[in-house]
This record gives sequence, structure tokens and C-alpha cells, in this order.
Amino acid sequence: MTLLSVKNLRAYYRTEVYGISRTVQAVDGVSFDLLPNEIYGVAGESSCGKTTLIKVISGNTKPPLKVLEGSVNYNFNDYKVDMLHISQDELRQNVRWKEISYVMQGSMSVLNPVRKVIETFRDIVDTHERITDKKKFLEQTRAHVNRLGLPTDVLNAYPHQLSGGMRQRVAIALATVFQPALIIADEPTTALDVVVQRGVLQMIREIQTTSGNTVLLVTHDMAVHANVADRVMIMYAGRIAEEAPTETIFDAPLHPYTQHLIHSLPMIGEKSTKASLKGAPPNLADPPGGCRFHPRCPYVMDVCRTKVPDLISVKERHRVACHLVEEGAL
Amino acid sequence: MRKFILKYLIPRIIQFLTIIFVGITVTYIIPRLAPTDPVEAQISTMMAMGSSLDPASIESMRAALTDLYGLSGSPVEQYFTFWGRLLRGDLGPSLDNFPTPVSKMIGQALPYTLRLLIPAVIISFIFGNLFGAMSSYYPKNKALKVIEVLGQVVRSIPYYIVAIVLLVTFSYFIPIFPFSGAYPIGTRPDWSSLEFILKNLEHAVLPAATLILVGFGGWFVGMKSLTSNIISEDYVVYVETAGLSKNRILIHYIIRTAILPQFTALAMVLGTVFSGALIMEVVFGYPGIGSLAIRAIYSNDYSMIMGITIYSIIGVAVAVFLMDLLYPLFDPRVRYQ
Repeated sequence: MTLLSVKNLRAYYRTEVYGISRTVQAVDGVSFDLLPNEIYGVAGESSCGKTTLIKVISGNTKPPLKVLEGSVNYNFNDYKVDMLHISQDELRQNVRWKEISYVMQGSMSVLNPVRKVIETFRDIVDTHERITDKKKFLEQTRAHVNRLGLPTDVLNAYPHQLSGGMRQRVAIALATVFQPALIIADEPTTALDVVVQRGVLQMIREIQTTSGNTVLLVTHDMAVHANVADRVMIMYAGRIAEEAPTETIFDAPLHPYTQHLIHSLPMIGEKSTKASLKGAPPNLADPPGGCRFHPRCPYVMDVCRTKVPDLISVKERHRVACHLVEEGAL
Repeated sequence: MRKFILKYLIPRIIQFLTIIFVGITVTYIIPRLAPTDPVEAQISTMMAMGSSLDPASIESMRAALTDLYGLSGSPVEQYFTFWGRLLRGDLGPSLDNFPTPVSKMIGQALPYTLRLLIPAVIISFIFGNLFGAMSSYYPKNKALKVIEVLGQVVRSIPYYIVAIVLLVTFSYFIPIFPFSGAYPIGTRPDWSSLEFILKNLEHAVLPAATLILVGFGGWFVGMKSLTSNIISEDYVVYVETAGLSKNRILIHYIIRTAILPQFTALAMVLGTVFSGALIMEVVFGYPGIGSLAIRAIYSNDYSMIMGITIYSIIGVAVAVFLMDLLYPLFDPRVRYQ
């Protein structure tokens, strides 16, 4: 059983300014499944389409972003949702926060600066389940916050009275009030120092183990994936380069891009200089033909320049898109 | 509480008194730098009217007027006499309507001005801010677009033109409102009779409408530009993805934060209410502070001009002082310290 099944998703940004139209192929043919009860990591450098992918699967597609083809289907315990065709009302009432919640990029500033934290809780809870008994709501919110290891005091604080790490934790607490089936966390640890990062990651991990939901964790920080993710998808220029269980990605990466990514991670005691990848990620408004990684790939072949590599399964749960692998060279 | 009084309240009170002191001192100095002498002006007016006086009585009149206007002695002595009188609530006699005291005349005119301006400012504040926020949050709404265009057009026309257009339209072409004044000619102000109050309201409709229309445009544009940044703030996008209703987001997340600088502006506007709406009152023949000020300027009535300026200074200073005290209630990020 899968929780989410994304098939051949193509989502482009189309803008037209003074008659000049521009298309950015931010997500180009992405297919993957999310299983219940796992932490799925999405990695890739900036502007490789991670946030666009999240926007589409969480139902936040707004112009100029447009879905050209593909499907995004959820299955929440027999409640099936086709995210690309659901009505806004149903999405708002039944899906948002009850089944899918979102810890946004820049969570530090997601709290209203002139509203107490408890009021934000009240707004969200009241939207999805009318609050009739105020005392019960307060008790439940306190219990929820305590369960996540936050002091009850944070509820009566204004955001500016909380530290960055605390605000991030409050954002996670807000995202989990209804025990949603899927929590999407977009760069939840960026802009936090490592000690606080560890606390936040532990919190995510604990929530996931106790309530058995799925976490989609998006970050460019490979160390975070190594610590918490069960499976990792590596994106490059709007496409999936490789997807495998975390251990496989770190121990036996197959795609040349993944290999570079992993080998660039510092190891304790190692003193050698890390080789950096030449060039920059392609401009998605005008991506190179064939494999989008070919201009930077050290093993580039003729076929790479013309033919888009298929995402093939090499082992169970290990998929990679590279002509070298297809030809059995790796 | 003790800390609040020592660290916040007392410095604010000192600041408040300093503003008033400096403001009034400047108002005291400026007319004295003018090249005209009110005593000589008064005497020459009397002479011009044809009264023939012998030099001795002119001399004694000059002495009496100099004393009456507080112009006897050195400038420093005059300054202290001036403060002495002011603290006793004595703004001197009006030079134009001699010997009616300035404070009495202002006392009669002020209620008319306040009754007209305060409700007009508050109504335009509420609607201007509400519609301004709505128009940036619902950019596709046609009705709001129409309101925005109208607001912009009215705002860019000088307000006395708006006043005249309204006056001509609604009391000449469509005669539903009275032409001028604050009550029908020939009636005596009597605030205990309901009929008189209704008549006064009827007379206030057109001036109030002008003030509201013009004020509305200002608040609308201000609020629209304040909210246009806020609608893309993380905390608004976040509650949108959390599925909150649009109205709740508009009120608690957008207006609630964008309104803060508007409150400060409101305090300033309410403070300046004490100097009246000059041209407005002239166009509508409304017997408020504005009309009083215009007449005083025309007739070189120094003590009246100073009296009105002093009221205005005190009005603005009080408004700023109260805003300082109240602001932390609106914005929790500002603390009493």
C-alpha cells in the first residue's frame, strides 16, 4: 500500500512579460511513491525543483506554476484524493492539516508577530474542528505541546519572545495537532545552529515513531538525511537522479552526481581537499538536452547528450537514471 | 508598576510638557518678528474711520492698548506676563471682536468643529483601512477596483473642489441639503432641543461627506501599500496553507499587523482636528475653528491666531502622548521601557 503515488509529474513555471514568454521546467517527469510510516528525504542543490515539487504535491499550485501532465494520488486509509483535481473547498476542509500538514521553509517567520502562539493554535484548530469547549481545547493543546517536550509557557508567548529553535519547534507542534498522515518539512533545520538542529531533528523523529505517519523531509543538507531519513531521493535539475534507502545512497551511490555529493562530505580525521564539481546547475529555462547532468559529468558519453536516461530499478528500492548504469558499466 | 511610572510615564510627561513649552514659545516669538505693530494698526484703523482725536487721548489710548495686548515692558518681561496670563487660562481679548475673550470665542466654535471632524476622521479611518486591505487581498474583485479608482480620483482632486462639487450638486441641482451654516438662519443654538440637533446634523452632512471622501482615499492608499507587503509574508502564506478562512486571515493576520502605523497617523490627524478644517469650513460657512482662524488672519487678530495655534499645539501633543501610552497595547513587540 502506498500513501502517495506521483507519476510522471511535469510542472513548469510559465511567465509572459511584454509578450516574451518564458518557461522554467522546474519539475520534469518525476515519479515516486511514499509509503506509510517512513521518513523520505529529498535532496538536491538550490533551484533543482525541490520546493516546486512540494508545492504541487501539497496542493499549493498557483500561477505562474502549472502542472502539465502527470498524477498525484493520495490514499489516506481508503480516503482517496486526487490532488490535481480536488476542489479547493474539499482540500481546505478535509485534507489540509488533517491529512497533510506543512512545516514551511523559513518557519522562523511563520508566526504572526502580534498574536500569541495559543491564538494561532486556536485559529488552526477552529478552522478544521469548531472549538465548542474552550477548556478542553486549552487542555488538549497544552498536552500536545508538552508531549513534544515544549514548556506550556510558549503558548502564552508572542513569537518575538521565543528563540529561533523554539519557534521552529512551535511550527512543528502546529503542524502535528491533528496527527496528519503526511508531514511535509521544507528545510526545517536551515538557519538553525547545529545543537538546535539536533533537537529539532530528534523531535521530528520522535513524532514519526510515536504516531507512525510519513514525513517528507526536504533539505540540501546531506548530514540531516544521513541522520533521520529512511529513504533518500536525489534531485538534479528538476529530475530524479537517484533514489535509494539512506544506507545505500551513502555506501554505494551509483549516479555520478550522487557520488560527488557523497564524496564531498567531510569525514572525521580526513585531511585531504575535496574535489568540487565543475560548472553550475543548468538554467531550467533552457536546460541541456539528453541527461541534464552531462555538461558536468566526468564520465560523459555521446548518448548522454541526446537521450534522456530512464529511471531504472537496479535493485529492490534502488532506482537510478544514468546511461552508464543502463549499459552495465557501473 | 513603579518601574513603569519612573522609566516610562515620567519621561513621556516631561517630553509632552517640553513640546508644549517649545511650541508655545515659538508661537510667541513669530508674531513679534512681524513688521507690523498691532497697536499702531488699531489706532490707524480708528483714525481711518474718521474719528478725530486729540494727540493726548491718542497717547493714552496707545498706552492702554499696549498694556491690554501685553506689549508693555521689555520682550522678556512680556514673555513672563504672557505665560502668567496663559496659565490662568487667559488668552487675552480678541482684537477683532474687542473685548470678547479669545477663549470664549474658541469655546463657542470648538464644539462645532469637533462634532464634525472627529466622526468624519473615524469613519474615513475605518472604511479606508478596511477597503484598502481588502483591495490588496482580493486583487480581482471588481467592486473593490471601482472603489479604488474612485478613491484615487477623489484624493487627487483638491478637497475644496470636492467640497464645491458636492455643494453645488446636493444643495443647488438636487436641493436636499442646506447651503451653508451649522443651523438654519434665525434659529438660536439650543442643544437641548432634538429638532435643533437634527437640523445641525443635516447641515453637517455635506462637509462631513467631503472630509470622509477625501480622508477615505488617503487611508485607502496607505493601507493598500502597507498590506501589499504583508500578504506575501510567511505568516500569511502559512495560515493559507493551513486552510484558514479568508476573512479570518484578513482580519487577524493582515489588518491586525498593517494597521499599527495607521494608528500613529490617526493620532496625529485627531490632534490636528483642533485647528479645524480651514477651507472646508469657509466653503460651507460652518462656524468652527477654521472659520475663526481665517477671519483672524484677515483682520490681523494676533491674540486669536495665537489662541488657535496654542490649542492646536496642545491637541497634537496630547494625541502623541496618549498614543505613546496606548501603543504597547496594540503592538506587543513594543514594551514600556
